[in-house]
Amino acid sequence: MPDISVRIADIKFQNPFLLASGILDENGYTIRRILNEGAGGAVTKSIGAEERTGYIPPVVVPLDDGLLNAVGLPNPGIDGFANEMKISLEAGKPVIGSVFASNADEFIKLCRKMENYGAHAVELNLSCPHVKGFGSEVGSDPDLVEEIVNSLKSEIKIPVFAKLSPNVTDIIRIAEAAGKCDAFVLINTVRGMAIDIAARKPVLSNRVGGLSGHAVKPVGIRAVWDVFENFDKPIFGVGGIENVQDAVEYIMAGAGALQIGTAVYSHGRGIFSKISTELASYMEKEGFNSIEEMRGLAHR
Amino acid sequence: MKHSEVAEVVQASRSAVTIFFIDDTEILPGQFLMVWAPGVGEIPISLSHLGKMKGITVKPYGKTSSSLCGLEEGDLLYYRGPYGRPFTLDSGRRLIIGGGTGLASLYSVINGESTVISSARSSDELLFRGKFKCRNNIEVTDDGSAGIRGFPVDALKTIDPDLYSVAYVCGPEMMMYSVYNYLRNFNLNLQFSMERMMKCGIGICDSCSMGGYQLCRDGPTFFKDEIPELVEFGKSRTTESGRRYSMK
Repeated sequence: MPDISVRIADIKFQNPFLLASGILDENGYTIRRILNEGAGGAVTKSIGAEERTGYIPPVVVPLDDGLLNAVGLPNPGIDGFANEMKISLEAGKPVIGSVFASNADEFIKLCRKMENYGAHAVELNLSCPHVKGFGSEVGSDPDLVEEIVNSLKSEIKIPVFAKLSPNVTDIIRIAEAAGKCDAFVLINTVRGMAIDIAARKPVLSNRVGGLSGHAVKPVGIRAVWDVFENFDKPIFGVGGIENVQDAVEYIMAGAGALQIGTAVYSHGRGIFSKISTELASYMEKEGFNSIEEMRGLAHR
Repeated sequence: MKHSEVAEVVQASRSAVTIFFIDDTEILPGQFLMVWAPGVGEIPISLSHLGKMKGITVKPYGKTSSSLCGLEEGDLLYYRGPYGRPFTLDSGRRLIIGGGTGLASLYSVINGESTVISSARSSDELLFRGKFKCRNNIEVTDDGSAGIRGFPVDALKTIDPDLYSVAYVCGPEMMMYSVYNYLRNFNLNLQFSMERMMKCGIGICDSCSMGGYQLCRDGPTFFKDEIPELVEFGKSRTTESGRRYSMK
């Protein structure tokens, strides 16, 4: 059988499919179950310094080919997340702590705590499109991104992953600014909106949200392609992966591992074990022994 | 978002109302809708009445439910769904145990052979009084203003649960937890409709999870052999921020 395990920044994942940040990763018991049911790893919900309740529902708008969401970064605050990390890590698989903050000092404090909790890496949320003062507001400022990533790399030992936004004019410029990170995570959701014409009102309570799911896959593929062309650094591909063809497309664009979020809504938690089996069958049929053999193949 | 015109609004207790609307969609007992009050909020509500004329029964707790309680005939009701795993309709005698508005989600499984244990804080908050298809109704109130003073478990002690093939249970979590701990020692089947704060309704936000299962998708109905896997049931829950607190 082909080997579907991957190694990114010296972390071994049994399969390349991680649970993406923001989906089913707030409660430790849920993360533990998803890992036990077949995810190769999990990225936690983005955690900040202080407790946040998030937005009032509606926080999601299910669409034919995706999902619009503005959950609003609900989280118990970094201190309140210690126990959830402990429960998550009982699965014995890599857990990556996602964090959000508005400046380098705050990011350092959060990442140090994640490191102490036993996180295998941290993922910097430089890309949430719907919360003022955080996420993509931080991640679209190259100088700030550079300061955050550089100071983190000198302060913490575990790998640092930078999750970038597609809602920028030039993603290469932001990737350059985050150049000292250990891996890129591409992409976060695409800013969008929905109006109910009978009610004559925006559906999301925050009005603006992020579009995810199959509809955004071409945006993700293009971001992975561009960043792969310009940097020699691992990439997690994320955005609209629902089946083995989507996964292979991301890998051929240059992704070394993948994250799945919205497909948990469209296909259930069983997506991780199903897509892993399908990937192994695909590789066997096509004569690939490892994911590395397929990575970036479309560029050659 | 779907919408239907409100056909009728009927009082279901002193403060709760049933909002009737016409929708041909097949919805099964125990399933729920995410109901939207535009500009106010969105909450999960189980169907109390099924068939072509559907009904949801709501009590004003917060802003969204209060806004919905103000709907009148001819207004539009906005919702998405149905969502969730329905009840399985077992043959044989049914024991129905509903606390507060939890009884609404059980109303459609009541048949002529059922016994209903309905509980509320006081007599005027008892839901659907005198409107059950069955004759056997044991009322329980916290203040003793009707029926047995106490909790549903106190009513259970007055009957033999093994005369029933199944118990359908819905209500506040600690009430359900005490009912579960009492009934699990008997032979009857159990179907619990679990309750937790729910934001998305489609299995992604993790607000309503219990032991790694999403109530909105894996539930809200859980069967006797599944309940022990819900390790947080009756023990701890998370707030809308995800902060965990002990329920003991």
